[in-house]
Formats: sequence, C-alpha cells, structure tokens
Amino acid sequence: MNKDSIQDQVISTLKDFITDWGLDADITPSTTLVEDLEFDSIDVIQFTVELEKTFGNRKLGFQELLMKDGRYVDDLSVSEFAVFLTGKLTTA
Amino acid sequence: MTKTLLIGLDGATFTVLQPMLDGTCDEGVVMPFLAGMIKGGYSANLRSTNHPLTPPAWTSVCTGRTPGHHGIYDFVRFEDMGNEMFFTLYDARDIRTETLWHVAGREDKTVVSLNFPMMAPPEQVNGSLVPGFVSWKHLRRNTYPDTLFDRIAAIEGFDPKELSWDFERESQIGEAMPDDELYSWVANHLPRDKQWYNIGHALLSEDNPDLFALMLDGTDKIQHQAWHVLDPEIWDTDVPESRRKVRELVVEYFRQVDGYLAGLHAAAGDDCHMVIVSDHGFTGSDKVVRVNKYLESMGYLKYRTHDGSDAAKRRDMANFANLDWETSRAFCPTPSSNGIVIRKQSTKNPNGVAEDEYEWFRDKLIADLLAMTDPDTGEKVITQVLKREDAFPGEAMENAPDLTLILCDHGFVSVRNLEPQVVTRPTPIGTHHPDGIFIMSGPGVAAKRGDEMSIVDTTAIVSHAMGMDIPEEFEGSVPGDLYSAEWLKDHPVQVAGHTDAQAAPKASSNDETEISGDQREEMLAQLRLLGYLED
Repeated sequence: MNKDSIQDQVISTLKDFITDWGLDADITPSTTLVEDLEFDSIDVIQFTVELEKTFGNRKLGFQELLMKDGRYVDDLSVSEFAVFLTGKLTTA
Repeated sequence: MTKTLLIGLDGATFTVLQPMLDGTCDEGVVMPFLAGMIKGGYSANLRSTNHPLTPPAWTSVCTGRTPGHHGIYDFVRFEDMGNEMFFTLYDARDIRTETLWHVAGREDKTVVSLNFPMMAPPEQVNGSLVPGFVSWKHLRRNTYPDTLFDRIAAIEGFDPKELSWDFERESQIGEAMPDDELYSWVANHLPRDKQWYNIGHALLSEDNPDLFALMLDGTDKIQHQAWHVLDPEIWDTDVPESRRKVRELVVEYFRQVDGYLAGLHAAAGDDCHMVIVSDHGFTGSDKVVRVNKYLESMGYLKYRTHDGSDAAKRRDMANFANLDWETSRAFCPTPSSNGIVIRKQSTKNPNGVAEDEYEWFRDKLIADLLAMTDPDTGEKVITQVLKREDAFPGEAMENAPDLTLILCDHGFVSVRNLEPQVVTRPTPIGTHHPDGIFIMSGPGVAAKRGDEMSIVDTTAIVSHAMGMDIPEEFEGSVPGDLYSAEWLKDHPVQVAGHTDAQAAPKASSNDETEISGDQREEMLAQLRLLGYLED
C-alpha cells in the first residue's frame, strides 16, 4: 500500500465514523479531527480503534502519534494519520 | 407473543415510590399502573450486591452471578504499575460469566436487551441488543446486529443525542445546583427515557421476543440530584416556587415512567409475566467522608506533591486517587468503589505490604477505619468494613478491593485532597441503599408481599418464567411463594444444565491476561485524553 491509498482508506473510515454526527464536512487531507470535526478526546481513541480494524485488526501503536515530546497533541489532520500509518504499514 | 418482560428501574426504592402508589403524597396516585401491578402481584425488597453500585449490580441481574464470579466491581478498574496507577473503564469484555441473553439464545429463545450497562461492546445475541452508557456518537458501532441502528433510527422522533449517555451531564451528579439549574438538569432526563421507551415499544411490538429487557435509568439520576424533593421525610411544601417546580417535574417523570410500564405491558399482552427490578435502592446522604485524607493522617498513603499549577489542582479534584505511588500502601481508588486497596509488595512495588504481614496490616487497617469519626458529633462514619473473601467470594475475587466500606449514611466516600476529613452537607443528596425493589405480575403469580430477595434471584425467576431450566451456576432461586401451588405444579422450577464459561463476554474478547506495553500506553493515553489524568 502506498500513502495515497492509505490516505483514501483513512478518509473512507473517517466518513463512516462520523456518519451519524450531522456534520456537513468535506473531508480532505487537511481536515482536522478536533477543529473541523468536533472530536472529543474519547472520539479520537475510538477512531484509532476503527483504523486498527481497517488496517488488519492489529495494534498500531497510535500513542506515538498522539504524544509529542511527552505531551498529548491538541489536534491531528487526516494527512498526519496517513503519514503515520504509511510508516507503520510499510515497515511492518 | 412475548412471554417475559424484564424492566429495570435503576435505583428505584419503595421509599420514594410508596406515596406515589398509595396516593399519600400531595399529588395523589402518581403511578396507577404500578400500584395495580403490586396489588394484583408479588412484591418484595430486593437486596443488592454487597456494594450496591450500578455496574456490579446490573451485571448480576444480567448474569445471575455475584460480583466475585462475574468480575465487575466499579465503573473504573486500574492497573498498579508500581510507580504509576493506570485507570481505565470496565466494559463487557471484563464479564467472566455467560449473560442471560446468551443463555436464552442457546435455548432458541429470542431476546431484546436495551440500555443495560456493561453491555458494550455488544455480544452476539439471538435478537437485538443496544447497550447503555454509550455516547450517541458511537451508538451505531455498539448495537447488535449491525443493521439495528438504521432500524431504530427510523422510529418516529428518534434522537440519538437525547437517547445516549451524556458524560458531561452525568458527571455533575453530586454537585450542588440552584433550583433553576436543577430543573433544567432534570428536564434533560425526561426525553431520554422516552427515547428508550419508543425503541422498546417498537421492537417489542414488531419482534415479539421471548424475553424483552429494558432498563430505565432516569430514576437513579434524578434521585441522586433531587433527593431533597423526593424523600417523604424531607419534602416540605413550604418551599420557594422554584423548588416546587422541580418537585412537579420530578413527579411528572415518575408519572411518565408509569405510562411506559403500562404501554409495554399492553404491547406484550395480558398473559405476559412482567418483572420489575432495581439494581439498588436509595436513601439520603449528609456526610462527605474524605477517606484518603483520613488514611493520609494515619500514615497509610501520601498525596502526590502539589506544585500549585492548574493541572495539579485539577488532578486533586478528580474522582481518581492522585497519590504518591512510591510510598502509598493502602488507598481508595475511586469514590464509587467505596473500596480500600492494599498494595502488596512486589518487584515493581517494593514498598508494598509483604505477604507475611498482610493479615496483621489488614486487621490494623480495619480497626483504624472503624475508628474514623465525625469530629463535630463524635459519630463513627464507617459502620462496616467487609473483607473481600466475605463480600465477593468467587474466582474473580482477586479483582475486588481488599476492603469494602459501608458508611453510616450509605454514602460514597471522597478521594479528594481536601480538609476537613468529614463534612456535613446542608442538604442531603441521594445515595445508594442496598434495598431495592422487586415487583412481578402475570399468570400464576401470587398476590402478596414476599420476604426480602436477592438481586440474583431475578435472573433465576426470569429464566423460569421463560420456560427454561435454571442453570446450576445461577446463584439465585425462585421464591417458594412467588406462584400459586397450582401454577407451580404445571410449571415446576427445574435447576439443570450449566452456563457456558466459554460464552462469557471476557472469554470471547481478544484481551490478554497480561496487558502489553502498547496497551498500557493506550490506556494512559485514553484517560489523559478523557481528562482523567494530566501530564
């Protein structure tokens, strides 16, 4: 899988994830979870679980993405998820 | 047609219901359907689990087992890492025994189960399951079967935001509210139970399941916050108009619940057995008991050093013990647990209690806890301390707190780093009492008030009412006077067969016994993101 196809799957998973949320959002690589899609902290965790199901139903160590310099990041974009997953899936 | 209805009323107590049933409250008879059910059927006090709390108690109803067997003790469980404590939430994957829904499915009975806690992620059942305590955003992924969400979404008036658990709203329980704020808070709970009723009525009417089970939890939430307008011993009509309005709304909630019960009974038909149970009762609590602060003064624990930052202040105000884990030897993890955990010595926790000093340490701790008093009155604030082998015997006992506390007013403890150790509230708040309710009507059911029953009796009763044998592992029984002798002759109670341990939700999950480093990090991340822990 290359980064483009992974990014497409992230977007597809995200669209399914927010199906019932009543958001009128066009999801692109620059879409951010908290700012654009009104994610709460628990939603971020649930979304990483959905991505793990999408990409082989295995642990992918999302804590590396969620933490930076020992602190938890404020927000994440679709492309940041895609880059992270590309690194994980191509080195696995 | 559906033969058996199991309706849960979270926290329902005869203390509050009786005046609304017999019409001795200002509003007259508020719950005529329930009054008629009691008059023509069987009722009794229902003794809850040894710690009367929603997750362990409802899991006992759903499994027929006590917490020492099913393994659920609190909303929150923790992993002691020696120099750190990882808190996370209990869910269905922690239940070690087979659920009634699954037992029924093996007997080719169909089931609808709605709004019971600890049921997410949902197991596969022979029917439909919507768990309780799930945020609306994640409801679709937590319903079974996966086509169910679209089906219930098509019900007229469906609103997932009204239906689902609102973590922010429920976290306000225990906070003092002025009347106008309390009115709005209560008002938000009325449509929630209406949503569950609408779904229940639709699935009951369309699917005719052999067992229809629905839990309504507005009773618990409203009694927690509005106890002062509900307790007949406290309620005084000489109050401001704002408080009278709160009372009117709360009574209206109970009136609506009575209508839901009548509606479900009508949908099932007159020949159904209807069983109404609560997970625990309710009473008033006027003491704030800061048990960790007391344990600190006795040298059992140390709070984490406070640097004065906003983050540190938030940690101190959280409902999780925020301690110096290098030195603390005994502590209460959460208010809802009312439990004391003794930290045993290990390589990762060298300052813990050694195996050979455990009994001595525990006996001293019990004596110290029982000596805790309210300095204003001299009254003992802890009336009983239960050892876990007495309170929660079973194969899951090792997950129980070492000690479980029963306070003088049945209240929950506080774990906050605040003085003084004991405070008397100006107005009592609602808290859990071990005596809940059992009410049953239907063919053959005797019209009488029975002796006190156990919460696990309900699962045996429902199994029998469905025409099933009662599995040998179920810990409850059918009271000998629940039915007429004639009915019992034709419908004998038979204890036979077994539950399937491999069908327990925990057995079918992918959890490993020893959590991995990744999982620990994830748990920590989850709780930090939830705001339970701060960097």
